[in-house]
Amino acid sequence: MSSAVEAHFRIQAPNSRPRAVTVIALDAGGAEAVRRLAAGEWSHATFCTVAGPGQLKRVDGSTIDLDEQVRTADLVVMVTSAEGRSQVAAEIGRVCSDRRVTTTTLIVGAIDAPDEALTKTLAQVRPWSLMLVLAADEQYIADMMTALRA
Amino acid sequence: MLRKEQNDQLTQTGPGTPMGDMFRCYWIPALLAAELPENDCPPVRVKLLSERLIAFRDTNGRCGVMDEFCAHRGVSLWFGRNEECGLRCSYHGWKYDVTGQCIDVPSEPTESGFAKKIKLRSYPLVERGGVLWTYMGPPDRQPPLPEWEFATVPASQSYMSKRLQEANWLQAMEGGIDSSHVSWLHRGDLNSDPLFKGAKGNQYNLSDARPVFEVVESPGGLYIGARRNAEERKYYWRITQWVMPSFTMIAPRGTHTVHGHFWIPIDDEQCWAWSFDYRPDRELTAAEVSAMCDGKGIHVKVDGGYRPLANKDNDYLIDRVAQKLGKTFSGVEGIGMQDASLQESMGPIVDRTKENLVSTDNGIIMARHRLLRALKAFKEKGVLPPGIDAVHQRVRSAAIVLPADQPFTEGAKDALVVRPDVAHASV
Repeated sequence: MSSAVEAHFRIQAPNSRPRAVTVIALDAGGAEAVRRLAAGEWSHATFCTVAGPGQLKRVDGSTIDLDEQVRTADLVVMVTSAEGRSQVAAEIGRVCSDRRVTTTTLIVGAIDAPDEALTKTLAQVRPWSLMLVLAADEQYIADMMTALRA
Repeated sequence: MLRKEQNDQLTQTGPGTPMGDMFRCYWIPALLAAELPENDCPPVRVKLLSERLIAFRDTNGRCGVMDEFCAHRGVSLWFGRNEECGLRCSYHGWKYDVTGQCIDVPSEPTESGFAKKIKLRSYPLVERGGVLWTYMGPPDRQPPLPEWEFATVPASQSYMSKRLQEANWLQAMEGGIDSSHVSWLHRGDLNSDPLFKGAKGNQYNLSDARPVFEVVESPGGLYIGARRNAEERKYYWRITQWVMPSFTMIAPRGTHTVHGHFWIPIDDEQCWAWSFDYRPDRELTAAEVSAMCDGKGIHVKVDGGYRPLANKDNDYLIDRVAQKLGKTFSGVEGIGMQDASLQESMGPIVDRTKENLVSTDNGIIMARHRLLRALKAFKEKGVLPPGIDAVHQRVRSAAIVLPADQPFTEGAKDALVVRPDVAHASV
């Protein structure tokens, strides 16, 4: 049933529809990473920073209501540095929780961050992240997005 | 998903392939020491990284592994006679020592020196921790011997088994770091398997079926933390270690042994799943060893060729009644075969262009990212990959309860490295 020959008989039709991914920077360090990431070629991804309470700013400069953006997303990816300034995760997380949208948080530069700052960051994002990744290099975010078909 | 060329790059490990070259940077398990039990015992065929090899232990106890085929007319040396410090081909009597050097060609005058001109490709074969390890890379880059803790504790504290897995090494290894499947596929075994049951941590597992995962890069690979609610303002953490390219160590349970795997390519469509169990602080009990031999825990009952008795030819002895009753989730018995059966069902090399990964697959995504990153650095700049350094090998998995806001890498810092004679951190 699982030989190489049998593998040729697998159905070659698409098995999924596109997923919409919203990437939101939580702090200044995250915003830099998100801006660089947005310069890549993505089919189903929207890149934002936080513009104010309940408001997001897309990389094209337009603003959008947080709730409205989350409502159209299948996955929200939050990107932050490990500086303990990620308190906005709670607001985004609550909206995602209400909308039943999955959240993943990436902390960039976490490996070399001071323990105190990292602890503070973790306390801010953990309650709102169903998946948390502490990556050494920013390139991981792009690889993850590609893996998730963003 | 991966692009096809990335999938090919990671799954192909034959000579001259990028991933094959990288695997050839490491000492890898080749045989159980028990497969060459005494001097002048029968030789053993073994295929590793798509190379067909023959291993033998000579009259003086020296071990070697070399090209399986005689340089004369290509006969398999498995038929050879292991005698007087060499392996003699049964066809015309050509004889080789453990380095692959031909030392006798009976049809040629000794004075002609012809034998000296014949040498088979060979690799070192060294016993450590009940395993015969080989290094298949360039001799000038041979690293120090492996320092994995299970291989350095006294023999009475460690147990090793191996089984054939009829799937590419990467999909088998990815199963080892796919922590989210445990709550489903293995849920029936936590409270019944003699090597798992009775741990307090099992109750955390069963009372919180939706763990949250944190993936953190480690010097040698990854820490994959699965977090569940414990007492007030505390989390129960199960931290798996992945060390490049294919070592995984699963978090322990209670006072049981700690265990893990190596996934070693045989060729691109099969791998050896090596499974170890050990205690750093005490001898294994007779009951533990008996359970391991009986295929409990992560071990599997196999035939003389190390093929599992439950295999794809007999549909893994699937028991639909046990599945319906919830005794096993998939109907396949035993944790090892539950994993292997599903991984083999994906096909010899799964087409990763068609998969649909989700957030909880970040451990797998990160492992691929690190492998590809290391491959690029190795290929373009000659940078040796992580996992060779002894510091990367002296690691442990851990099960531990920590304050809710603490980074697990900080709270479990001591628990994640080898401390000689000290028990591993377990709940």
